[in-house]
Amino acid sequence: MLDADSILFSGAIGLLVIGIGGMVISDHLYRMLLALALAEAGANLMLVLAGFKWNAAAPIVTASAEGTSAMVDPVPQAMVLTAIVIGVGVQALALTIIIRIRNAYGTLSMRAIKHKMEQDFAAKADLPIETRNVPARNE
Amino acid sequence: MQELIILTFAVPLLLAFLLPTVSRVSFTLSKLLAPLVLIALAVMVGCIWRFHDETFVLHIGNFAGPQGIVFYIDRLALLFAFAVPVITVLMWPWYFDREESSELKTRKLSLTLLLVAASAGMSLSGDIFNLYVFYELLAVASYGLIAGGDQKADGSSYAAAFRYLMISALGSVFALLGIALIYFQAGTLNLAHLSEMKQVLDSPAGLIAFVFILLGFGVKAELFPVNSWVPEAYMASSKRVAGLLAGLVSKLAVLAIIKVLVLIYPQDEARQLLLVLGVIGVLIGEFSAMKAQDMTRMLSWSSIAQLGLVFIAFSIPGKAGMLAGLAIALHHMITKPALFLIAERWGGSLQQLGGRAASSPIMAVLFVLFALSMVGVPPLPGFWAKFLLLSGLSAQQAWLAIGVVLVMTVIEANYLYRVVSSLYSKDKIQSTTSGHRKADAFSAMILGGILIVASIQIQTIGRTLEDIASDAIDVKSYISNSIGGSS
Amino acid sequence: MHRLTSFLFLGGFLFFLSVLAGIMPFGDPPMLIGQVIQKQGVAETGAANLVTSVVLGYRGIDTLGELAILFAAATAGGLVLSSGKRKSVVSGDDDAGFIVKTAAELLFPLLVVAGLYIVIHGHLTPGGGFQGGVILASAFFLPLLARPSAKINHSVMSLVEGFSGAAFICIGLIGLFNHGAFLQPFLAKGVVGELFSAGTLPLLYIAVGLKVGAELAGLLAALNEEDDSKEGSEHA
Repeated sequence: MLDADSILFSGAIGLLVIGIGGMVISDHLYRMLLALALAEAGANLMLVLAGFKWNAAAPIVTASAEGTSAMVDPVPQAMVLTAIVIGVGVQALALTIIIRIRNAYGTLSMRAIKHKMEQDFAAKADLPIETRNVPARNE
Repeated sequence: MQELIILTFAVPLLLAFLLPTVSRVSFTLSKLLAPLVLIALAVMVGCIWRFHDETFVLHIGNFAGPQGIVFYIDRLALLFAFAVPVITVLMWPWYFDREESSELKTRKLSLTLLLVAASAGMSLSGDIFNLYVFYELLAVASYGLIAGGDQKADGSSYAAAFRYLMISALGSVFALLGIALIYFQAGTLNLAHLSEMKQVLDSPAGLIAFVFILLGFGVKAELFPVNSWVPEAYMASSKRVAGLLAGLVSKLAVLAIIKVLVLIYPQDEARQLLLVLGVIGVLIGEFSAMKAQDMTRMLSWSSIAQLGLVFIAFSIPGKAGMLAGLAIALHHMITKPALFLIAERWGGSLQQLGGRAASSPIMAVLFVLFALSMVGVPPLPGFWAKFLLLSGLSAQQAWLAIGVVLVMTVIEANYLYRVVSSLYSKDKIQSTTSGHRKADAFSAMILGGILIVASIQIQTIGRTLEDIASDAIDVKSYISNSIGGSS
Repeated sequence: MHRLTSFLFLGGFLFFLSVLAGIMPFGDPPMLIGQVIQKQGVAETGAANLVTSVVLGYRGIDTLGELAILFAAATAGGLVLSSGKRKSVVSGDDDAGFIVKTAAELLFPLLVVAGLYIVIHGHLTPGGGFQGGVILASAFFLPLLARPSAKINHSVMSLVEGFSGAAFICIGLIGLFNHGAFLQPFLAKGVVGELFSAGTLPLLYIAVGLKVGAELAGLLAALNEEDDSKEGSEHA
């Protein structure tokens, strides 16, 4: 049961489940972002596992290395490189948006923010607050 | 000459990278340069279409596919590669808040150019991970554009951008997981090669990979259940950005899903899933649009509903489905941006619209035109699109879907009529907003003109679309063109 | 109740993924394109590091897209941070202490060298533009940690960023106009394993490294200039 692939897969799946669960359950913006980082790590790990080969070496050709048959697949590693950078970009941007939301709304609770956002929309559209489409939830 | 099609991707990207430097020299230069470059690219694509009408393949870097990345350029790709710069120029952000620094304005222009580059790349690409990368570029550019807000960024634009970011990032995690599952089973990323290996993916694991990819790409395609970001994002951003996202970006996401569906997953289960999600999207969209109290929200929900129609159309197998889906998608690509442009000044509470037709008669007429086409009144193109959909559905004997589409049309007619009648009503409400901006009116008129021309030329357009559709579903020639060795 | 259903859903999702993972052919992937790349990668690109040959050669346009995404994120981040800015108060200590200042001065050249080394040797050993670029960015961020009120020269950063990104695309366009395909590698491939090998690949990686370094340094500096410390904000 505790062989290598179970451990590796459980790592990837665990990260994914914690990350996705955290994003769905959490109310605090920063925690959602951290959960996103975990989920992305899990997905990247899963992708790298797609290229693994037993008893194979790293995909670097050196003068001493002989057969190319014992090399790990380089394509998932290249994909993960791209995916990690994409994740970094998105998380950095999300962080800047969180900072600005905190400045504008003073809170980091998703429910409160949704409520305030709907109020802003109603104000922009010159609708009286009672006819807003989303009923306020008091939390 | 046809290799130059890659410039539709490379040149906007180059310009986006250099725009901050160009702006330091002169902001006006960058403001004018970008649309001119886009128009030049559109002309180039038009020439390629005119003079080189066969499907061809580009091997990026001259590395042969499937290990290299292959761009597959058939007429469908050319159509979208042409539409992307054209629609973007029509929806170009000419207006900025007076207090914004030129640095901020340059940033918005850069993001718009990145949107164009990503869209062009997505329409041409023939590799699933490449589609994912361009889709992410599209996503990040749109996060920035939405956070930029309507003239001025404020709390609601940040909040809407963040909520969109979260849903989109979650979708991307799923899409990446789906790609990992596909790579686990098939060992390749090239769409044509994957198409050759459909049998491997005809398993439950393969179908689950499709569901994950659908969730990922479906965020931008406004698919249920990942479309809750839509009304907030369109209300928070400027209407031009909303029009771009609803009109252009969503179609490219749909295109990506369709490429995967047609080439790799011809099973019935995949199509049924699209049908179900499409029907739910239509129902939720139309009922929410009816309840909406302001124009922008109404248009957002209507956009969700129309995209639901597109998915219902693509769930019909064969040429009929592809044709209907293309027709509805193209029709939406023209009407929705125009409606958002009109909503620029008339957005906001629907009760405020009383009697506005008197002060802006042309805009009101355009609104009526687009509304009639969306509902599906002959001889406008919207009627033909819905007719193709309904005839395809009846050939499939999908009575539930037909019922849903008809009910949707009735509800749509209802709420659009309410708006039109209040526009033309006799009791005028004192309005404080000025008339439409010139660029908005101009773009809306051009789009209206395209619609009218399309109604007149419906036969030719129908035939061209039929050709495009039969090319698009011709999986065998896709494979032989891509991997058969043509360089 | 909401919590309970969420946990049930997550538990189900966990089980579902585990079953899925069990079906996957772990450790023996089909590797249809991987094998071709392993056989022909060195011959076609001249890079000893096959991952680099994939990243910059076979899937070069993915890397270009990735660069664009990072640029988009930095641009959008700059857009968000400079709008809605309150007063530009850069408070906080001007001095992060003796240890941090000395360490920063010691580490700065080491980090720059390490970063450049990793960037330039990307085609020979594991590493490359992105990894080295991040190290370069942290090298340029260290002085800001040591002296929080210092400002980095944003216009220089933005110029470096713009021009290195443009350099990447221009190398690709030279490939298109002179040799037939966008991003076609063209300089001499040289001997595998030497520093000056693999044609244009090291040049591309240098462009990537400079761009990523400048971009992330600029973004980190912009975040640093956001000073919230006055409020003693407590995030629950």
